[in-house]
Amino acid sequence: MSGIEFLRITVLVVFSLNGLLALTLIVWKALHRRRQKGYERRRVAYLTLLSRHLADPDEDLEMSPMVAEDQAFLDALIDIRTSVTGAESDALAEVIGSYGVMDRYARRLGSRHFRIRRLRAAVALAEVADSSRAGVLMKALDDHDPEVRIQAARGLGRMKWTPAIDKIVDRFSIETPWVRARFSDTLIGFGQKATWPLVAYVKVNHRFETAGPTAAIRTLGTIGDQDAARPMVEVLEQAFHLEIQLPTIETLGVLGAPIAVPHLEALMDAEDWRLRAKAAGALGDIRDVSAVDRLALGLTDRNWWVRRNSAAALGKIPGGVRLLYHAISSADPFARDAAAEALYDAGELIAARRRVDQGEATPNDLALIRLIAQEEVLAS
Amino acid sequence: MILEAFKWIGYAAIAYFVVMQLYLVLLAVVSGFALRNTYHLGRFGRVTEMLSSKTSPPISIIIPAYNEAIGIVDSVRSMSIVSYPRFEIVIANDGSTDDTLKRLIEEFDLEHVRIPYRPDIATATVRAIYRGHNAVDITVIDKENGGRADALNAGINAARYPYVLCTDADVVLDADALVRGMQRIVADRERTVGVGGNIRPLNGSEVELGHLVNASVPGRLVARMQVLEYLRTFLASRPAWSAMHALPLVSGAFGIWRRSAVLAIGGYKAGHLGEDLDLTMRMHRYHRSNDIPYQIVYEPSAVLWTEVPDSFRVLRRQRIRWHRGLMTSIRDFLPMTFNPRYGALGMVTWAGFFLFEYLAPMIEFIGWFIVPTAFFVGALNTETLVLMLLLAFGAGLLNSLASLWLDEPYGYFNDPKSTSRLIIMALIENLGFRQITVVWRIRAIFGGRGVRGWGNMERRGVANLATDS
Repeated sequence: MSGIEFLRITVLVVFSLNGLLALTLIVWKALHRRRQKGYERRRVAYLTLLSRHLADPDEDLEMSPMVAEDQAFLDALIDIRTSVTGAESDALAEVIGSYGVMDRYARRLGSRHFRIRRLRAAVALAEVADSSRAGVLMKALDDHDPEVRIQAARGLGRMKWTPAIDKIVDRFSIETPWVRARFSDTLIGFGQKATWPLVAYVKVNHRFETAGPTAAIRTLGTIGDQDAARPMVEVLEQAFHLEIQLPTIETLGVLGAPIAVPHLEALMDAEDWRLRAKAAGALGDIRDVSAVDRLALGLTDRNWWVRRNSAAALGKIPGGVRLLYHAISSADPFARDAAAEALYDAGELIAARRRVDQGEATPNDLALIRLIAQEEVLAS
Repeated sequence: MILEAFKWIGYAAIAYFVVMQLYLVLLAVVSGFALRNTYHLGRFGRVTEMLSSKTSPPISIIIPAYNEAIGIVDSVRSMSIVSYPRFEIVIANDGSTDDTLKRLIEEFDLEHVRIPYRPDIATATVRAIYRGHNAVDITVIDKENGGRADALNAGINAARYPYVLCTDADVVLDADALVRGMQRIVADRERTVGVGGNIRPLNGSEVELGHLVNASVPGRLVARMQVLEYLRTFLASRPAWSAMHALPLVSGAFGIWRRSAVLAIGGYKAGHLGEDLDLTMRMHRYHRSNDIPYQIVYEPSAVLWTEVPDSFRVLRRQRIRWHRGLMTSIRDFLPMTFNPRYGALGMVTWAGFFLFEYLAPMIEFIGWFIVPTAFFVGALNTETLVLMLLLAFGAGLLNSLASLWLDEPYGYFNDPKSTSRLIIMALIENLGFRQITVVWRIRAIFGGRGVRGWGNMERRGVANLATDS
């Protein structure tokens, strides 16, 4: 074939391809729009039929068994499921059972191919959260597709299937960060029931790895179970990875555990500024008045983050505000601004302005207003 | 001899365009495969579960503003209703001479406050800081004029959270844009230092209460052409670069960055006309030369809508500014071009920028004179010339149509009418529009005075853009 012939054929192919792409795109858009309208119409029809049936269970549904294959039917079921309770919920469960909806999705989830079909099945099972399908979802926790695993955990969480907790926690070490984050959400949904499996996981693993235990420690903080405070203090004492120490300190703060105060005060003397800054923040979250003096020292720390966190912490603790007023006349401009910010966040500026308006301003009020708003207020 | 030279230069110029278009088509094919994965996750992956998650990392939204009085309030409102568990908004008022600051103070009930401002990155003087007790934390940094990069740096200095979204004041975020962008961070927090979002032209679309309610193809040709350009860039190129771990540009309008990484490289380069390109490339260079594992990714489902120029005059100014920014970056990062040490970034994407963005206007411009001259002096075979031109045109069209197909799953322009309008645009953009942009870029190379600073276009405000359709 000569060069010119090759060029001719190439041009012909390119233009044919262009024509084909343009034509199919327009046709596809038209079909897609039609399909979308059809889906919306069917979904509304299913919602109407289901609502009537739930209001009067004697009324026949008059639907073909094939509706179970229809995504619009499933979406209508999910929509309606979130808004019914009691007898209506039982009647809906009967409909789901009689049309074999969950059987179909459980079968699809078990198939090895067609990623989207399996993912849709996992979403459906998670949304409906029918505890008779817990076994299928437990198995799906080992699925090779991360999104399927996430949906399986979500479904098990929604049905409060406590045997799943251990399995989900066990997978923390081998999961990707994305899956781990979603697993954390599920465990948070389990509440206090997840506390001890997570504590056990952290205590066993924190010396050998950081990613899984870090996520577990943060999950414990969000669950907020006070029972986790003592084991977390023990972890803090034993941990030698900064990646473990920092979230543990944060969690102790979130838990508001007074038991941790002496340990956190000791950490305010740590060599690493990140530990000192985190400890200051946690002391503020715990709001224990005994920490006020140590936090006041934090205002003179050599690191600006520690000074800022100490000021913010003092703003949260009764008695701390007094020290912040003292700090706004500090020679260190950064500590002064940090104290002013903390006072502003604590609502002191509004209170000070009110007192000025009422003619009851104190010297502290005037100093704060002058500093923060740079307004000249004449003491009268 | 001269005839022979004309012949080969003419063929070389046309062959260059054929190769360039085929390179872009190849990128579109790779992008198609890359998009398949993210599309499935977006559609079925329940990314929005991050919204109710208490483990989602907080983020600071940085908005640089210069004379944005007309649209700043709508923009901040749009940002403040974005769906995300924890975020703050930091607006850096870059010495505006209009009512930008006044409007912000009045609308959001802000007060002049003292907060610890630490200039980790040197900027023009900060005059004052304002804050208010709103549902969303809003901080305004009022500073002296220093340009967009300088304003962004001031915002980054004041940011309190570990991630920053650097954006613009004339944009509307899709409600789930932030969560979709941040999903890429959560998916690999250790390595991900930057995430770029998908920018779409807002002109012609309807915005209500800070939300996009109806996406339409703009009525004005100049804006409609840009719709096609943005689709090609954001759906037919960037996904491929991202998949190759070689994304050279995270757009300034939607770039999520790890704050500590931005501080480590000294922030945006003040005065640079392509500060987003420069920052992305420096981020690559810093991590690679220090052997720090990292990735900078592109997330097509994180969508941001921006006002694009709707007159040739403003578009010209914008394109000259962009090309001058590109030229500076090409010069700054020349050692990375065709450098295998930088992997696909040096060998494919940055090399592509050099060959097909930087050199393209010059070669095309030369081609305009050489090819007709060679043809008239009989140095070129008519059939070969016509076939090569057709091939270049056809490949360009193929690239545009491929990007329209790639856009299909996102369902923004779902009616056949809008699609037909864009297809017609793909056909006619080579008949004039493309040539005009070449002239502008040539002007950027040889002149380009008066394009420094913010290079602002006349704003209509994000809520007033539906009227041109």
